[in-house]
Amino acid sequence: MSRLKNILSIAGALVVFATVYIVDVVRHTVSVDLEGLLYLREGAIAGAFFLLYLFMRGARAGRSSGIPKSIGKLLLYSVLVLLTGSLVVFFGPSSVDGAEIQTPYFAIVNLLSVLFGVTLGLFSINTLLTIKDLLLHKRRKGTKRNFVVYLVLLFAASAVSLPAISREMAIGSTLLFAASVLMIVLNSFKQNWIVYLSRREKLYSIGYSALLFLSFIALNLLDTQSPVDQVISSFHYPLKTFAQLNAIFGAVYFGMAFISTLFHLPTAEVYERKQSELTSLHNLSRLVTQVFDFSDLVNTVTAMTLEVVGAKSAWLELIKEPGTNGQVSMDIVSNRNISHEMIEVITADRDSSLRRLVLESKRALLIDDTANDRRTKHIRKHGVSIGSLLSVPLISHGEPIGFLHATKDFEFGFDQDDIDVMTTFADHVTIAIENSKLIEKSLKRERYQQEIMVAQQMQKRLLPQRLPQYDCLQIAAVSEPSMEVGGDYYDFVKLDGDRLGVVVGDVSGKGVSAAFYMAEVKGIFQSISKLCSSPRELMLRSNQSLTESLERKAFISLLYGIIDMPRATLTVARAGHCPMIYISGPDARMIRPSGIGLGLTNDRRFEDATEETTLDLQKDDICIFYTDGINESRDHTGEEFGFERLVQVALGSRLRSAEEIKQTILTEIRNYTGGSSYGDDMTLVVMKWLGRLEA
Amino acid sequence: MSEFKVHHRDGEGVSVIDLKGYLDAHTAPDLENAFQKLINEKKFNIVVNCRDLSYISSAGLGVFMAYIEDVRKNQGDIKLTNMSPKVYNVFDLLGFPILYEIYKDELEAVGKFGPRK
Repeated sequence: MSRLKNILSIAGALVVFATVYIVDVVRHTVSVDLEGLLYLREGAIAGAFFLLYLFMRGARAGRSSGIPKSIGKLLLYSVLVLLTGSLVVFFGPSSVDGAEIQTPYFAIVNLLSVLFGVTLGLFSINTLLTIKDLLLHKRRKGTKRNFVVYLVLLFAASAVSLPAISREMAIGSTLLFAASVLMIVLNSFKQNWIVYLSRREKLYSIGYSALLFLSFIALNLLDTQSPVDQVISSFHYPLKTFAQLNAIFGAVYFGMAFISTLFHLPTAEVYERKQSELTSLHNLSRLVTQVFDFSDLVNTVTAMTLEVVGAKSAWLELIKEPGTNGQVSMDIVSNRNISHEMIEVITADRDSSLRRLVLESKRALLIDDTANDRRTKHIRKHGVSIGSLLSVPLISHGEPIGFLHATKDFEFGFDQDDIDVMTTFADHVTIAIENSKLIEKSLKRERYQQEIMVAQQMQKRLLPQRLPQYDCLQIAAVSEPSMEVGGDYYDFVKLDGDRLGVVVGDVSGKGVSAAFYMAEVKGIFQSISKLCSSPRELMLRSNQSLTESLERKAFISLLYGIIDMPRATLTVARAGHCPMIYISGPDARMIRPSGIGLGLTNDRRFEDATEETTLDLQKDDICIFYTDGINESRDHTGEEFGFERLVQVALGSRLRSAEEIKQTILTEIRNYTGGSSYGDDMTLVVMKWLGRLEA
Repeated sequence: MSEFKVHHRDGEGVSVIDLKGYLDAHTAPDLENAFQKLINEKKFNIVVNCRDLSYISSAGLGVFMAYIEDVRKNQGDIKLTNMSPKVYNVFDLLGFPILYEIYKDELEAVGKFGPRK
């Protein structure tokens, strides 16, 4: 919509100007003189200018390209107007009276008039809009009012300058003109925008204002030149006063701006500094929101250090976790405009190294002249050219956690203000970094807990979902992982010849890796057990497979038994696992064939050490497989449950079913530990031989 | 529960590590650091005195496994001494006596390094 409006505005204005031009040429030829037509013509031109004003105002609203730029543009337009004006002076109607000119020549001259008139009009409007923007920058209550009063006076003065009116009220028009000039002066005192410019922008503004001032003076002079004066009057009478007043406004306003900026120049740097401090301190609050990304945070810190003290380069280093031998090793987490090599040269760890000095004093360290300071003299040898250097410690709970350094190219680059600002800044940085670390820690913990949950679920699925059922054998089993993921494993496999393989194992370590190893053990057990005729053979083959895949410090202990139902025998092999408890009648024995844990060694020693034992099962014999979590359960004094108690409890409940024996053992352990959580996983498999079912 | 401590002393080409307290998954890294440090310093003749060691878990046993290969590759050894019966039982169950030299007395273990030097 606004685009359509723009097109209509421009098209409307163009049509008006074209019509005016044609009518002028026709009028010159035919020479019709009608007062009414003249007024209509002036009105149409004023309307066309109003349309263009609407368009220009709309076009300006969207942009905000900085004050110096907008003044610069105005300067460019003024030069354009002056050039067009010069054309008029040289090629215009000159002193020749309009009526005597030939029509074709007039057509050209008139075109020039219209063009200059339109250019001048546009420039005047532009001047007004630009000054209005400057005036309303940080405006006060009366600012707009003053400007509006000027506008009213401007239009009134322009309107009464029509020859028909001015002839009758000459004094009125002079008064209006004078009042307008007064308002111009009044408005020109509003130069608030200058204060908010940076030093660079001020320098630009000074140049532009000076040139604009001259340009407007030139324009004022040009407008009074007879050919130009004549051209304007013949194009649009009110434009003369309008343009003249605005040119005066421009000259006065930018003349004042020039002087004012000149006075503001010495304070520019201070203002700029304060402003950048202000923005930086404002940015500090943003630091807080950046703690989720550590690298973002530290990069912002160094970037802001450059801003805050106007440094050439800056870097942030954090103390690594304290080493064992009191040596301070640093982590350069962010550096700007300076290489790691240079930083190493500057902070080289000597007796009087900067880091040590700052560490000891826990205060900011300023070196005004690095080349001649004994603490930093050495850096010149390495071709590092730094004028001055400021280092501040980051102190958290009284302990330094790192440093923030800033350098400048020239000597004595930092003043007390810089030190204060940097120290304050360092405090905020410390808090932000600490927060960031805390968040990272809690995120890590959360991730870890999720991993654990996945591993726990995985582990549950690796254990048998239901126990094998036999008439001659009762089986009860339980595996209770500790708080975290454990490495306990038990499993059954049905073998040919009515035999049953029973395994209990313990993977060293805990957590996710233990769960993975457990999965591996299950895979190996399920596949190898059917190929091995004896438990010993299974141990040898499992060891071979596992040694390759286990990490060095990991190993697995296993207890594997094969119950041969027809023969009523149990053959057991043990790879570093807790011995089996065997209860036959009132006697209890630890069955402990020799053997080494899986994954400890893969040479002959394993084979030589691994033996197997075969037991003839009697009716009501009890075999208990378990992991060390059972016998290592502790009471509140740290005393272990131990093998002795385990055997006694089992003996005491030997007349009960396998399930009841299992429950009794668990209950006893719970009573013993006093309900405190178990330190380790506990796995318990109780089997009771009921005897062969003879026909 | 007593706290775990690793103390290290040097004597006549043999480094002795004294263990104290509970050696489990939480304290294993302390012993790992001690071994790593000795290996970095090219001290491969190591005796671990377990006199004050009151408990060792599978994670603790794993530490010995992690370094024995490196040490033996460099003509050194890790010998264990002064174990309480309870601690010895844990080592024994797993078959460690087959893989490691375990002595009753520290001097005896140190002496075993003698001839090789």
